[in-house]
Amino acid sequence: MRRRSLAIGYGLVALCVAIIWFMPLYWAMSLSLRRPADTFTVAGLGIPFVHYRPTLDNWATELRVPESRRALLNSTVISISASLLALLIGTPAAYALARFRYRRPPNEDITMWFLSQRILPPIATVVPFLLIMSQLRLLDTLLSLILVNITFNLPFAIVIMRQAFLDLPVELEEAALVDGASYFSAFLNISLRLAAPAMAATLLIVFAFSWNEFLFALTLGTLNARTIPVLMAGAVDTRGIQFWFVAVRTLLAIIPPTIIALLAQRYIVQGLTFGAVKG
Amino acid sequence: MRWNNRLKYVFLLPAVLWVLAFTVFPLLYSLRLSFFNVRIGQEDIFIGLSNFARAFSDVNALNAARVTLIFVVGGVVIQLLLGLAFALLFSRPLPARNVLRTVMTLPLFATPIAVGFLFFTIFYEEGGLINGLLGVKIPWLSDPDLALFSVMLVDVWQWTPFVFIVILAALQGIPEEYYEAARLESASSWTLFRFITLPMLQPTIILVIVLRVAEAFKVFDIPFTLTAGGPGASTQVFSMFIYRTSRRFFDFGYGSALAFLLLIVVLFLLMSFFKRIRQVYQ
Repeated sequence: MRRRSLAIGYGLVALCVAIIWFMPLYWAMSLSLRRPADTFTVAGLGIPFVHYRPTLDNWATELRVPESRRALLNSTVISISASLLALLIGTPAAYALARFRYRRPPNEDITMWFLSQRILPPIATVVPFLLIMSQLRLLDTLLSLILVNITFNLPFAIVIMRQAFLDLPVELEEAALVDGASYFSAFLNISLRLAAPAMAATLLIVFAFSWNEFLFALTLGTLNARTIPVLMAGAVDTRGIQFWFVAVRTLLAIIPPTIIALLAQRYIVQGLTFGAVKG
Repeated sequence: MRWNNRLKYVFLLPAVLWVLAFTVFPLLYSLRLSFFNVRIGQEDIFIGLSNFARAFSDVNALNAARVTLIFVVGGVVIQLLLGLAFALLFSRPLPARNVLRTVMTLPLFATPIAVGFLFFTIFYEEGGLINGLLGVKIPWLSDPDLALFSVMLVDVWQWTPFVFIVILAALQGIPEEYYEAARLESASSWTLFRFITLPMLQPTIILVIVLRVAEAFKVFDIPFTLTAGGPGASTQVFSMFIYRTSRRFFDFGYGSALAFLLLIVVLFLLMSFFKRIRQVYQ
């Protein structure tokens, strides 16, 4: 009996924790469905249909704004390009680190070198990037932001894919080599295929990281190359705080990377710890 | 065999060149800038270490360093304790455990800039979620001392799930036999935790701390939208101070020097755990 009530107690605490953690996202949804007049007058939790009559007007209005559409498109183009290219450059390097032996420097030092690029604070390269991009006349272009996001995510792609290749049985490749296949075709036809799920997960996670990137988007892309986070940051200055639109934009920004991360859930632990902990 | 040898370098080269061109070169460029007085439209003037010296007597820089340090230490400690507690809680057999766990991981990839805005509406004094629900008027964002704590709370919301899922994964990797053997000796649950769980988790906990601290030093987005560094400069973190110095005041030399100081701190942290992290990739 005591054990049972203890189990119920733990269950309730866990439920409370989950509710508290979900609350902010619920709140954004609730705000985004309110008429402007309801923003501050609705009581307590603001449950739609109970405390106020929900409307999709804010969503419709926001999605009609050309700047918002443009920003959504920019963010999508940048994130897709950066994730594909980071994977394209990173995968061969990851394979090389997993399968070949380097002596000077040894493999683990090369991996650490790549990894350290990811861990160091990006603010350190803001000024040089700004000056270099303005020299190259690439300021406010999607290309500059694609380059930046490849740079930040390349180390991530390498470290994750290296682990994925290490987890594959090497025997299949060896068998192909014995049968006379070249190293390159063994890589292309066997390893790449087997590592496809890890590649998909890496693609998704890099997409999410690129979508969320703000510091460089703010520095390099002010108008034409404005991404969703930069559009959001500008919202306060021009319109004052309009909670209902802020809520819509918040969700527009948060929903894509969050859904994408859920799709790659099996790889999240491994991804966020750079392969050190298996999920 | 010769193919193998060539492939070995061909495969690695693009990535190495990319990092050299887009990370190492900009860093060296930035290092050069930090020794100069840079003014737009004028010749750069070499001033040696003056930019670095200036940082140590600049009240704003010292304040930003203090704010960042409080944010990093306070935030990471809270996240670690909560994350560990949640992981222990969720590692028990609970109904709908996976649903609860999924809910907990939602904040991880939420756009930080949007999260800052979202919590602005939550902390809002008149009619925000917390004050509205509790019927109080806590000045979450307008009181200088409380504002930094509020920024920390947002970071706690976003990153406790990271500590939680990583430690949960590590917990599930501890063999059940260890506990069974100890239970035969009728050990208490505190003893089990103290002498089995905690030692087995130790490497993971250290890794989590290193990754979280390195990440927390980069903080920029959340205070940018939540408080814009205010009130006053009470939440102006180091990255934000660097950004303002270089972007708004175009003081590129000083900005680069400040960035290098931050870089050195994080690098030092990384180097002190270098051996331990390196083991992972052997």
